[in-house]
Amino acid sequence: MEIRSNIALKVCLAVVLLLVGLTSFGCIGIRTSPQGGSGGIVADNTLFLCPALKQASGGFGCAAPQTEGKLVAVSTSDGNRLWEVSLEASRATSGGYGCAPSVAPVAIYGSPAVAGDLVYVAGYNGRIYAISASTRLSQDRYVNETNPQPIIGGLVVVGDRLYLGSADGRVYALNGTSLEKEWEFKTGGKVWSTPAIEGNTLYIGSFDKKLYALDTGDGAEKWAFETEGAIISTPLVYDDTVCFGSFDRHLYCLDTGDGSLKWKFMADSWFWAKPVIYDDTVYAPCLDGKVYILSAETGSEVVGAIDLGSPISSSPVLVGSEIVVASEEGKVFAIDTSSNQLRLLTEVGEVINAPLCASDETIYVYTGSQNLYALNVESGAQLWSLAIK
Amino acid sequence: MGIGEIWNLIAMEPMINTLIVLTRYLFNNFGVAIIVVTIIVNAAMLPLTLKQVRASKAMQALQPKLAELQKKYAKDKQRLAQEQMKMYKESGVSPAGCLLPLVVQMPVWIALYQSIMHVLAVIPENLLGLSKYLYSWPVVYSTLPLENQFLWLNLATGDMLLAILVGGTMWVQQKMVMTPGADPKQQQQASMMLWLMPMMFAFLTLSFPSGLALFWVTSNVVRIGIQYSATGWGALVKSAPKKQDERDKKYKQRISEVEKVPQGGDIVAPTVTQEEGLSHEEPGSERQDRGGGYPKSIRAIKRKPRRGRGHRPKRR
Repeated sequence: MEIRSNIALKVCLAVVLLLVGLTSFGCIGIRTSPQGGSGGIVADNTLFLCPALKQASGGFGCAAPQTEGKLVAVSTSDGNRLWEVSLEASRATSGGYGCAPSVAPVAIYGSPAVAGDLVYVAGYNGRIYAISASTRLSQDRYVNETNPQPIIGGLVVVGDRLYLGSADGRVYALNGTSLEKEWEFKTGGKVWSTPAIEGNTLYIGSFDKKLYALDTGDGAEKWAFETEGAIISTPLVYDDTVCFGSFDRHLYCLDTGDGSLKWKFMADSWFWAKPVIYDDTVYAPCLDGKVYILSAETGSEVVGAIDLGSPISSSPVLVGSEIVVASEEGKVFAIDTSSNQLRLLTEVGEVINAPLCASDETIYVYTGSQNLYALNVESGAQLWSLAIK
Repeated sequence: MGIGEIWNLIAMEPMINTLIVLTRYLFNNFGVAIIVVTIIVNAAMLPLTLKQVRASKAMQALQPKLAELQKKYAKDKQRLAQEQMKMYKESGVSPAGCLLPLVVQMPVWIALYQSIMHVLAVIPENLLGLSKYLYSWPVVYSTLPLENQFLWLNLATGDMLLAILVGGTMWVQQKMVMTPGADPKQQQQASMMLWLMPMMFAFLTLSFPSGLALFWVTSNVVRIGIQYSATGWGALVKSAPKKQDERDKKYKQRISEVEKVPQGGDIVAPTVTQEEGLSHEEPGSERQDRGGGYPKSIRAIKRKPRRGRGHRPKRR
């Protein structure tokens, strides 16, 4: 009996410790706290970026993850950190039991937006921050005061207005100075997508599987197009066409006038990143690891897809006549649009999920290891790097 | 192919895709899908679970003999171990028999846990990571992302009530399989575990999405059902008479104190007539002494009747 009792007790303890260990140390490989990590934006030789939050590691059970976000300004010429502003988490939005943090972390997923002296940032905690680049003074406000929900997508600034989508299922237009709401539009699901604006029309996707075209003046719906899957990618607008990826693995192209389908193209996985257009050719990166090269007119493949060997979640950029694209495993490539040939620029060896950012002949890559790299597109040479944590 | 890829191929991918497809066909309700998958997984592992329960039961049957051996070879631990092993061999019971199925089931539980956490995809990182586990079935892609609402729960955040349910059901299940031990030290350890595990899981439940807690509660309820059908309520109901004995012991102690001071206090020693008056039997009828009751000196003593049902004196 003693032997049996001992074995039983030891096994029980082992099971408990194993479960606690696996879950606490993240050995199961699932993160429950948002990390964020935005792409950058360049204005006046300064790159603005919101780094990912530090995750709890090694702390047994209740090591709290970092909740305070920040906006960092970096000189594009030499990679020096110019300044940074803390984005504080202010109140609990949900949970707070057990080891869960009592405040929603200020994880930033969408790239900042710049208008004059102000830099705008939208947080996972449902708050919008406006920071003055010259004085570092900031003001912030909940988009939805009564039910704050995460903001995953980025902001778009046009004139004196900010446009964004929220996980509360609404699209908002805010006053750029006071951050007060000017109008809102309710969709049937969460909105994680970043809006795209052309003329007086805003295009945005929702978890309700629809792409909406809204009037930027008052938020009135012009038309909506329903797909078979949720839409979280940022739409690409060119000429009279809007192009976007859906979770049904299709890339859709619609007429901007009435929302009618022009063509659709099916891949093996999701189109997570925003496509790029150059010279009537759409370059659509996909999570199946391929970049599809399609005719903007018909949606047919111009040439066979280029396989990068690992999923592509980071949105590519156009630099000159080259498309620069990064694979998740940390390789940065350039696709020559005249020959559609692939060229390896560099291999940083770190996970790349954040959208790429370009300025002149330089691209900026922010990695999952929280390093910022500046690369010359022509030579692939690393100009500088900076650890931003 | 690395061990991680093999794990994904044989465990994660089937589990994740099953969860998503079931959600689609169960009214797009992920909560119901979690419950159904947990029941299916439990049903698939029923032979192993029953083997574990039977092995535990067989071990329980050997307890008196083991106790004898312990007494006999109390000073010779080596001999005791030898004799115990000999007895296990003769009776065809393996001490590992009740633990091996548990170990085999562990990977399945971990896979289910991982799948639920992945499919919930509450943050972009999780949703992005989910894509590599999906089969190329259109139904899978069109169902995602899943709705997190189930009853009063947001399956993506912790819930207090569900944490209590996890702790409660785990305590019940553990109590049912608990065996009375002769060694007080072992008994103390077992009692500690009885409380420690449910409390720990309840605390963990608060820190994790309640989708996972729903899986734990369902799993516990199913296991309570299996345990009940195999061995009954076990120690869960056996503990009741024990409490009665303790109460009686206290009662006797109080009575002996009262006997020292015959007058006063809230306990009275009624006369035979008074006792008849309190009895529910017909006056004058003879009551058979079945024996085994209180000592003669105490038998005539009864508690002062309290107000309330069952204690009210019979009206004449």
